[in-house]
Amino acid sequence: MSEAVLQLRNLTKTIGMRKIVDNLTFDVPAGEIFGFLGPNGAGKTTTIRMIVGLISMSKGEALIKGVSVRSHFELAMTHVGAIVENPEMYKFLTGYQNLVHYARRHNGITKERINEVVTLLGLQNRIHEKVKRYSLGMRQRLGVAQAILHRPSLLILDEPTNGLDPAGIRELRDYLRKLTKEEGISVIVSSHLLAEMELMCDRVAIIQGGKLVDIRSLQEARSQAQTKIVIEVDDPAAAEQLLAAAMDGSRLTVSGNQIELIGDKSAIPHITKLLVASEIEVFGIHAVQKSLEDQFLEITGGEMIV
Amino acid sequence: MSSLSKLTRNENMKIYRRSRTWIMIGFLLLAIALLSGIMKWDESRVDHSNWEQLLEGQNAGLQQQLTESGEIDEEYKAYLTEQIKLNEYYLEHGINPHQLSLWSYVSSSSNLIMLVTILTVVIAADMIAAEFSWGTIKLLLVGPASRSKIMLSKYIATLGFALLLLILCFAASFAAGGLLAGFEGVNQPLLTVQNGVVHEGSMIIDTLKTYGFSVVSLIMYVTMAFMISSAFRSSSMAIAFSLLFMLLGNTLSALLSGYSWSKYLLFSNIDLTQYLEGGTPLRPEMTMGFSILMLAAYYVAFQIIAWLLFTKRDVAA
Repeated sequence: MSEAVLQLRNLTKTIGMRKIVDNLTFDVPAGEIFGFLGPNGAGKTTTIRMIVGLISMSKGEALIKGVSVRSHFELAMTHVGAIVENPEMYKFLTGYQNLVHYARRHNGITKERINEVVTLLGLQNRIHEKVKRYSLGMRQRLGVAQAILHRPSLLILDEPTNGLDPAGIRELRDYLRKLTKEEGISVIVSSHLLAEMELMCDRVAIIQGGKLVDIRSLQEARSQAQTKIVIEVDDPAAAEQLLAAAMDGSRLTVSGNQIELIGDKSAIPHITKLLVASEIEVFGIHAVQKSLEDQFLEITGGEMIV
Repeated sequence: MSSLSKLTRNENMKIYRRSRTWIMIGFLLLAIALLSGIMKWDESRVDHSNWEQLLEGQNAGLQQQLTESGEIDEEYKAYLTEQIKLNEYYLEHGINPHQLSLWSYVSSSSNLIMLVTILTVVIAADMIAAEFSWGTIKLLLVGPASRSKIMLSKYIATLGFALLLLILCFAASFAAGGLLAGFEGVNQPLLTVQNGVVHEGSMIIDTLKTYGFSVVSLIMYVTMAFMISSAFRSSSMAIAFSLLFMLLGNTLSALLSGYSWSKYLLFSNIDLTQYLEGGTPLRPEMTMGFSILMLAAYYVAFQIIAWLLFTKRDVAA
């Protein structure tokens, strides 16, 4: 991972007495998909809008490829492609005209480049139709086409999966992966769909009350995550006694016919042998990996999201 | 970084790719056709065969008025002699003043600049507010163009639309006049009497002068609508308020003309023709210079307010 494409330095937004975003400082390196997680009102959208200049910064700085958004807005924005919430288009224009409208604002976007992007996103058959006749999925694709038309170094997506069906979400995910791998683009995504973020992102920043709570790599999180082992038996009381003695000290919880314990996957064969030897009927044993959602809820104290 | 000319092309695309714009243009052309048609119809009801006798008779009547009553004031006397001079000129050159010429149609089209103003105000009021209504404002602002540049491109496109309508208004009424009264009337001079001598002036310059005065009020109303557009984030609200101010403003100024402070109102100053010959200023102490100064002050204020509203506010919704 090379030089940081996005750097936030003490980014702060104050409205009245309230700090909506409080001293955010972190870097996003090139080629990374970086997720923004947080409960509603945590300041995700405000942060993103400060980065793209829709909302003024009260304090601090955002640098895109080392260029300050505050003092050199136009230059900094040449490196940014964005879809802020649902991609809104000019509905009375055709898809192609929308792309031309976008292309005119940047230097050096040729007709060939427009056609290339249109083909890349599979829009070539309907690009000359008015956008008001597009489905939401097609508008989303046109939105992505716009955002990448000028080959940005940083792609910013605010709630990009809103209103997309599962196929559309998957398509977007695959496409983002391809972009980061092949073109070295960094992507910032904010979403409330945790499962999606888990599949999409390399790293996530968890924000709560405008403050940065944690940044974690999902790769690490996956390997470090403790596994929960769930065992279904006919006699949970006997099994609990047996396992409590055998697994010394590990946490056990019983609910109905199920016993849950925290442990490593490698303990499963041993547990099975023990149970079978004690003639306890085993209906099933399986390992459950802690999801990002569980971790997230742990960190933010179980506050409701969505 | 975006260039201003490309941004303006974008704004033009957004104006002229909407069917609404073309309905407006069609409406203006229809109004011109209708106005010209009515003028022609009205003219055709009068018998013009004996216009020379009529003029002679009129002159004799005027002459009689002039000699009979020595008590009438000087101004009216001067007016009567001017009329006599003009009528003599008409007879001499074989011009029937009651017959409509090409320029009669063109100069009456200047009444339709009010319509041009209304249509442009609708476009101007929509210019910024519509981006908020459509939700495209985020798309527009997140890019390598400063907000000031985007705003300027929108203002230029709006004035461009006004200019297009003015040219269409002039050209269409010129064409209608030519078709209904003949294109040979294009060389007809503007006749004025100065120091007892009939002068031939240029009709086109006179018409452009009429247009010019109307353009002053057009620019003021459009700039006001533009400011309202950046204040409201719904285009229907912006259009409604702009038209309301525009249509009620004149009535308001007339109602308040008894108070001396009413001379500082925009609407009291917007019509500069009140200072021309034959016009009465709204208040006796008002002069053309004063009004131009007031209009300039309002113009600057509108621009500054619009700029502050557009560039300094957070786009949060």
